[in-house]
Amino acid sequence: MDTLSFLFDGFQTALQPHNLLFAFIGVLIGTAVGVLPGIGPMSGVALLIPVTASMTSGLSPEQAAASSIILLAGVYYGAMYGGSTTSILLNTPGESSSVVTTLDGYQMARQGRAGAALAIAAIGSFVAGIVSLIGLVLLAEPLSNVALKFGPAEYFSLMLLGLAAVSGLAGKSMTKAWIMTIFGLLLSTIGLDNVSGVARFTYNISYLYGGLEFLTVAVGLFALGEVFKSILHNEMNSGEIAKIGRVLPTKADLKESAGPIARGSLLGFFIGVLPGAGATLASFFSYILEKKISKHPEKFGQGTIAGVAAPESANNGASGGAMIPLLTLGIPGSGTTAILMGALIMYNVQPGPLLFDEHPAVAWGLIASMFIGNVMLLILNMPLVKLFAKIIQTPTKYLLPLIIAISVFGVYAVQVTTFGVFLLLAFGLLGYWLAEHDYPLAPLVLGLVLGPMIENNMRRALTASNGDYLVFVEKPISLVLLVIALLWIAVPFFMKLRGKTVIVNEDM
Amino acid sequence: MNKTADRIAAVAFLAVGALFMVESLRISKSAYGSAVGPNVFPFLLGLVLVFLSIKLLFETRNYSGATGEKLPRQYKKFLVIFIAAIFYAALLETVGYVITTFLFLVIGFQTMEKGALWKSIAIAAGFSLGVYGLYVKLLQGTLPSWPIWFQ
Repeated sequence: MDTLSFLFDGFQTALQPHNLLFAFIGVLIGTAVGVLPGIGPMSGVALLIPVTASMTSGLSPEQAAASSIILLAGVYYGAMYGGSTTSILLNTPGESSSVVTTLDGYQMARQGRAGAALAIAAIGSFVAGIVSLIGLVLLAEPLSNVALKFGPAEYFSLMLLGLAAVSGLAGKSMTKAWIMTIFGLLLSTIGLDNVSGVARFTYNISYLYGGLEFLTVAVGLFALGEVFKSILHNEMNSGEIAKIGRVLPTKADLKESAGPIARGSLLGFFIGVLPGAGATLASFFSYILEKKISKHPEKFGQGTIAGVAAPESANNGASGGAMIPLLTLGIPGSGTTAILMGALIMYNVQPGPLLFDEHPAVAWGLIASMFIGNVMLLILNMPLVKLFAKIIQTPTKYLLPLIIAISVFGVYAVQVTTFGVFLLLAFGLLGYWLAEHDYPLAPLVLGLVLGPMIENNMRRALTASNGDYLVFVEKPISLVLLVIALLWIAVPFFMKLRGKTVIVNEDM
Repeated sequence: MNKTADRIAAVAFLAVGALFMVESLRISKSAYGSAVGPNVFPFLLGLVLVFLSIKLLFETRNYSGATGEKLPRQYKKFLVIFIAAIFYAALLETVGYVITTFLFLVIGFQTMEKGALWKSIAIAAGFSLGVYGLYVKLLQGTLPSWPIWFQ
């Protein structure tokens, strides 16, 4: 078994003391990010890219990439977990994937069972993390072997499919989602052309020759955009925090939630693997599923523990599942994984089928560290849940200016130009305005990350075919991918025309 | 959905798309060893963006007139902090990291909510000195240290 020995190597990477520390910091900050209303997983991960870049500056490139991706992935699933805490205690979800948790979680808290709800959320997240990890180990090799057979034409079509999936499901208006995707792709063409070395849209501004720095755009759009929104809308945190009480769940609680956790984990994982669907949809679907198959559907919404266990397992399962297309195909399926991919590219590590061959330490180290991170989360969260609840009370007065300062520091530390900082502020304004008017930001980031690869593959395919555009439909795999992409766009469109409501991911 | 905002956005994206199309015409068309030049991809994208903007423009005609009640916005607070951030960025390299960060944070904290000045000063000083110490002294990173006229 090759996979097992690779996984073993991965554990060796992940168990190095500094990587353990990075995983610990990651899940700790991630939980805090999830707990704090206003910073979601996307802004949290974006904000930490420059911080990890400076923390890992002393390591060799490969080690630095492994360590920082371990930390950033920790933030990602830590945030998934932390989001439940505010849902249960405050009735305000920390991020969109724990919206469903408020339905039963807050009711439980009002009945004095907040501790049990928090504990079951932690256990469910842990189980889901392990399930998605096993899936990742099993699927990673075969999937990347398939992808290795892809030529440029197939890759081009696959990436179009990725874009179609994410744009088709994002936001209220598909037109707006597509505008954001194309806008992101256009922004990615700024800078020196990879193939010919011609400067495009740089207008002799020397800072632009390297292209728009992904980090600046992501931190500006997500982190600053959120901060500006909180300032403008005067979102001060208020409200009573429910008493936590007894943390350990009773045997009856555990028995009642075992089924929902198992189903939620599996469902979440498979939804997560699909590009475009994400943690939010996963939690939503698993809640509906539990309600459908439950013997007492009337109990849902009244504070039943299954209503917390299922969605919380599902959103963690989905965040694990979302790593599969990212690591094996190089196609991020959501905004957060797009940011993770941008971070990997910053370290000159290209996610995709070759990742497992070229950078086994990064790929398997990450997989192993997700296991360790999940164990840490469980250990961390059961006793520390009361402490994390305190973080909710961090006054926004201090929090918001500090986030601006951290963003400025991060961008300046990586780029060492004030031009980057001005660009950051500009993208912050843009991000606020766009989000305010229902333009989804995730497709923009996805376009920005995938842009150069789509263009390169398109041009390589066209060069091989002497400029014949039919090459994309003549290759069977490419044709199939394009047809699926087309269906992905067309089906919801026709469903809307027939008056059916289409569930969309409001933010990913 | 907000009719006016979407119209403005549609026109803006239309302009962006058109600009990219026009500008990509000025990029050289040929590239050695490649059948498609560096101009093709941006040109096509610009074209698609123009079409999508026109589609959005048409969609805005179907919006219902009611745009929901306007919530109060804290424009003054926001402007003060944003302008402070611009000054922060502009002065970062001449005045140095520690002083600009400290001032920005104190202004930011006090704009968010007046009062507790000493606490604001303590947190701001702690953050700016802490980051500087950690990043520059411990991690050997580069940040503009103190005002250039001191050095």
